[in-house]
Amino acid sequence: MAKHPVSLTVNGDEHDLLIEPRKTLLAILRDTIGLTGTKEGCSTGDCGACTVIVDGKAVTSCMVLGVTASGKEIMTIEGLASDGELHPVQQAFINTGGYQCGFCTPGFIMASKVLLDENPDRTEEEFRHALGGNICRCTGYTKILEAVLKAAEEVRTTA
Amino acid sequence: MSEYTVVGQTVARVDAVEKVTGAAQYGADVHPAGMLYGKIVRSKQAHANILSIDTSEAEKLPGVRAIITQDDVPSGRRVFATDKVLYLGEPLAAVAATDPDIAEEAAELIKIEYEVLPVVQDVMEAIKASAPRLQSDAAKDGPNRREISAQIRKLSRDKENDHSDEISKLEAALEEYPDEVYYNISAESHSEAGDVEKGFAESDVVVEDTYVIPRVHQTYMEPHVSVASADSSGKVTVWASTQGPFAIRSGIAGTLGIPLTQINVIGTTMGGGFGGRFGVIITHVPAVLLSQKTGRPVRVQMTREEEFIDGRPAPGCVIKIKTGATNDGQILAREALAFWDSGSVSGASIGSTIRVRGVYKIPNLKVDAYGVHTNKSGTAAYRAPGAPQAIFAGESQLDEIADRIGMDPVKFRLMNMREEGDPVPAGANEPKVGYKETLEAVADAAGWWDREAGENQGWGVAVGDWTNGCGPGGVYVSVHEDGSARIFHGSMDITGTDTMISQITAEILTIPYESVTIRRGDTDSAPYSTGSGGSVVTFTMGNTAKLAAEDAHRRILELASERLNMNVDNLELKDGAVHVISADPPKSISLGELAAYSLSTTGGPIVGKGSFARQASTPALAAQIAKVEVDPDTGRTRVLKLVASQDVGYAINPMAVEGQIEGGTVQGYAWAMMEEMQYGENGNINPGFVDYRVPTSADLPTVESVIVEVPAPNGPYGAKGVGEPPITPTLATMANAVKDAIGVRITELPIKPEKVVEALKSNGH
Ligand code: FES
Ligand code: FES
Repeated sequence: MAKHPVSLTVNGDEHDLLIEPRKTLLAILRDTIGLTGTKEGCSTGDCGACTVIVDGKAVTSCMVLGVTASGKEIMTIEGLASDGELHPVQQAFINTGGYQCGFCTPGFIMASKVLLDENPDRTEEEFRHALGGNICRCTGYTKILEAVLKAAEEVRTTA
Repeated sequence: MSEYTVVGQTVARVDAVEKVTGAAQYGADVHPAGMLYGKIVRSKQAHANILSIDTSEAEKLPGVRAIITQDDVPSGRRVFATDKVLYLGEPLAAVAATDPDIAEEAAELIKIEYEVLPVVQDVMEAIKASAPRLQSDAAKDGPNRREISAQIRKLSRDKENDHSDEISKLEAALEEYPDEVYYNISAESHSEAGDVEKGFAESDVVVEDTYVIPRVHQTYMEPHVSVASADSSGKVTVWASTQGPFAIRSGIAGTLGIPLTQINVIGTTMGGGFGGRFGVIITHVPAVLLSQKTGRPVRVQMTREEEFIDGRPAPGCVIKIKTGATNDGQILAREALAFWDSGSVSGASIGSTIRVRGVYKIPNLKVDAYGVHTNKSGTAAYRAPGAPQAIFAGESQLDEIADRIGMDPVKFRLMNMREEGDPVPAGANEPKVGYKETLEAVADAAGWWDREAGENQGWGVAVGDWTNGCGPGGVYVSVHEDGSARIFHGSMDITGTDTMISQITAEILTIPYESVTIRRGDTDSAPYSTGSGGSVVTFTMGNTAKLAAEDAHRRILELASERLNMNVDNLELKDGAVHVISADPPKSISLGELAAYSLSTTGGPIVGKGSFARQASTPALAAQIAKVEVDPDTGRTRVLKLVASQDVGYAINPMAVEGQIEGGTVQGYAWAMMEEMQYGENGNINPGFVDYRVPTSADLPTVESVIVEVPAPNGPYGAKGVGEPPITPTLATMANAVKDAIGVRITELPIKPEKVVEALKSNGH
């Protein structure tokens, strides 16, 4: 199959790639670039495990064709901690026990980061609905919500 | 204040950073150089004879490196279907290609010719004489016919006396049960205590219902995956996302006839399992076969759709149940007849039907269970396998009785609960248990005693029990010159068990939790370990770790005794150093110094070994209360409150224990209210998250967890396995709450809005 040139910035690094048009952004991140922190739970856009940040927005990368992401700025879970310092959301997931198997965690953390960037003042109910596109089968969500609320508080007080 | 400093404390998990930074390596993250992508070719029919499989077109596709069918399985053990398929999605062949999309294309190019056969998906249809026979022609007698036939056989064996009269009477009695011959039965299980007929006769109230529980999928978030690499010497390495690497090793050895020593299984970090991740054939065996054929590493990864059509979900079940009680609230008898939808594989979970006895003193009990073949994939364990189904029937009916005799459901349960020493119906005597404490704890926490319900609101309570399993395990612990300790073992951690093992080790060696590190080995290097399922890990590996640390502790005192020239009786290990008891001035030597000293001794380095296999474990109870509000127009049920208590024996890491309670409760909620694998004329029709909805954070409020600690005599620090109990009562908790809200009992799960509206209509709304 013919390949197309695609240029992406992922976690600050530029990648110039030749990509088949049928490859998703998820496949490019995981298989071509080798950033496997982003997970594949359904590949139909229904579980949120593959959530990454594209130009500041949370996106399910299994639903994006790689060729359409050319020229975009992408952040994955691997790019979230800076200078060895965990992002407040990451730290909060650890402190509250917001993960068990951890498979949904990168997706939840990236989705939460965008929510906090947009507006950390949401209520618990609002966060519950805003995170409704991400599935976690292990935690029952109680501790995930605790983590997000804690991180929101942290973001508010340090902002 | 606890006498312990590390166990019993909430600590961050040992794998915390790798899990929140994306560094943890799950199955699909393994990518050896030159890896090919495998794809399984699956039946598009639910029941059919296979006339031909034509791979010629697929072979021509550039990038295809191998195509295998059953002909490529040297041992002859069934990996792929050959002449007949029994369910939609059954594997027929597998492809390996240089790219996952090419593998998928090739799979589509393989032409299969089918001769379609009649399909049966419903258990109650499958047992009828009119149903197609799926796996054998054998018919089984139902419970009544069984007993009469057994009597006839017994009498006819007695050649000394003439029983012909009695026999002909019994044969006439058999005529009474013509419909009690069941077909497509894969397995059966029967138990009995006392005399149920007598119990029902003595009862003031007898209630009889049929409960229907759907087949549901464990829905671990990481689909099945394995990467296999066979080298030219015949050595096979398998990176497997599995709960039991050692079981996978022996499974591959048995299926493919490869010597155990030639197989190394590396358990990868796992995206959930819940009992569904023990299968050997599912992806591991095809990956090995493809790698052997191509000489290259091969990854076989299931899609979510494949998970639904060819995973090994929890069996659905139809349970006819009857309970008798006196007007003052004493349960006298219970009888259950269950048909489990086993699909194409025999009998998972049917033995759990006995759990209809609950935790109650039921003097007369009779349980008959059958596994039934249908045209669906096989089933396997899902968190407390079989218990949620049986307990749903038992606990729903208990509320119906309480209602008839006008007793509070919590009081009714408390009154009938077994205590230490009480006989378990069709079982041994009860050890020390915390049943009443656990139910009382949830009632208090939920505000049951002064509960209020507005219009269309209701409260439900239920309890469920589970006894953790245990199995073999081994642990080594080494103490290093910096005073740190390193644990080595082979058990899979999903929910924080490595953290628990580290806490126990730190506790015994009196060092900080942070000074302990842990490493899991593969099957080539680590001591044998049982699979991580059945809530075994805390009980088994906790005990094993404790033995290993105690062994190291002995060596530490021995070294200190040599070094300090003191009798061990005068020494104690405290705060990471060995101290001379009541020495003035104080005298001590640190663990680090002892570890350094050990390197030049005859006895050598500090290595503790722990090895454990079996100890009696103690039942644990989960008790839950829900408050719901039902919208009578839309039928939607909203959970206002969900409180879950559990007797965990002893909470080694309370935060992790709460996580188990919350997660299990939500899975139970989902089974009660939303999940159901649906089958049409040709197999599963909802193989994705759009049609098979699992809960999201938007569906539920916070789950309030309440930890109850009634120590288990043989558990490490009194701990019990905590993973399974919380899912067991939730199905009934929800159903009982909905009944309280709308006044109608829904006996068929899930309680979807349309069923609620239907029920309300039938009740004159
Ligand atoms: S993998 Fe993309 S949403 Fe599930
Ligand atoms: S932690 Fe396992 S799916 Fe969320």
